[in-house]
Amino acid sequence: MKNVCEEQVFSSIFKTNSKTVFNYIYYKFGNEEKAHDAVQEAFVKLWENCANVMPEKAKSYLYTVANNLYLNVIKAEKVRLKYAKPTLEISNESPEFLLEEKEYQQKLDKVLNNLPENQRTTFLLNRIDGKKYAEIAEMEGVSVKAIEKRMHLALKTLREQIDGI
Amino acid sequence: MQENYLAKWLSGELSEQELAEFKKSAEYASYQKIIEASSSLKAPEFDVDQALSRLKEERTGNAPKVVALNPFKKFLRVAAVVALLITGSYFYVNSLDESISTQFAERSEVILPDNSEIILNAGSKVSYSEKNWDKKRNITLKGEAFFKVAKGKKFTVSTTHGTVAVLGTQFNVENREGFFEVTCFEGLVSVIFNGNETKLPAGASFLAINGEVMASSAPNTTQPSWVDNESSFERIPLGYVLGELERQYNIVVNTENVDKNLLFTGTFSNTDLKMALKSISTPSRMNYKIEGDNVLFYAEKTP
Repeated sequence: MKNVCEEQVFSSIFKTNSKTVFNYIYYKFGNEEKAHDAVQEAFVKLWENCANVMPEKAKSYLYTVANNLYLNVIKAEKVRLKYAKPTLEISNESPEFLLEEKEYQQKLDKVLNNLPENQRTTFLLNRIDGKKYAEIAEMEGVSVKAIEKRMHLALKTLREQIDGI
Repeated sequence: MQENYLAKWLSGELSEQELAEFKKSAEYASYQKIIEASSSLKAPEFDVDQALSRLKEERTGNAPKVVALNPFKKFLRVAAVVALLITGSYFYVNSLDESISTQFAERSEVILPDNSEIILNAGSKVSYSEKNWDKKRNITLKGEAFFKVAKGKKFTVSTTHGTVAVLGTQFNVENREGFFEVTCFEGLVSVIFNGNETKLPAGASFLAINGEVMASSAPNTTQPSWVDNESSFERIPLGYVLGELERQYNIVVNTENVDKNLLFTGTFSNTDLKMALKSISTPSRMNYKIEGDNVLFYAEKTP
């Protein structure tokens, strides 16, 4: 059986999960530095306890450690997200359209930051990281249905606020 | 529409019918726009390889040090401790003061490294440092002793009551509870008592009882009487005389209706108890009874 203590197993767990752990913490608290620290901390803990953590449980272990690290400790900051550069095709659009587009993105940014932390995290993990509801449920340690609820509410709130403004 | 239909729509779990219904709704376009816009969102940069190497650095930094086990090392450690203890105790024992003491009814003679002599009376103790004797002639005395000091550096006798310093002479020091007497038989003796220095020439005596300096008569002998197995007293409270009797014969002396502060002048033998008891009781007008090691003095019945 594979063991997390093995260098190769550990490295591969790191390569597949570190980026998502980073994003997960960033979506929650909007603090890049803390997100980096959380990744380090979570993986150090995993290494220290490598003998006690099954490889298949390593993932949820990481999210639990990372989440507990800042739970009730840091105040959530504004989440600053970038938008992918418009492709050539889109840049052919009229200046008015581009301006409108930019305004819309700013609105979306604002509304995203107003979302409750768990709804934002679920929404962004799905939209940016392409995580399935089941995966997000595993990270957060809740049921898939709870994640669907968060996603539904996130979309509903986003639309209401964007259209309302 | 089913529960959480927005989430289901996004994950493509809506039935065809539901999807068609949703597409007809007024909000559909707005949702579509949100999904489109959010699909171009990006999280901050995260360099996986850099983070991994940083983690590895941290891990090696915190890694416990590997200590080679060496069973011989343990033995060496024990051996070192034992060697240290042996040398330590050797030096400690060597630096300990030489000490000679006498029990009751016992006497002892001590020859010091410089051939000075000490004769210890009963129930006394002297101690001195043999190692440092050449540098410092210092004796600590409890009880009574007669000193014949060879000429040389200053010779000091420290007692709880006072200090006696001489160069070369013969003198007697008695240091009992509440009683301090120095008698000089030859040369000059300096007595420091309560910070005051008194110089005693040959044939002079210094006496302090209960911290008070008393007038004392000069002896007319060349050495204390106890060296010749006699205890001599001149105007000494009876209590101290009986104390000396106890020490010389290793007995317990009790009194009944006797004033211990009565001054006693006289001599008793240190070898013959009956003679000694008579010597004390007759001039003090007392009677005595002997019961084993106990002697009871009691006042003569007044007629």
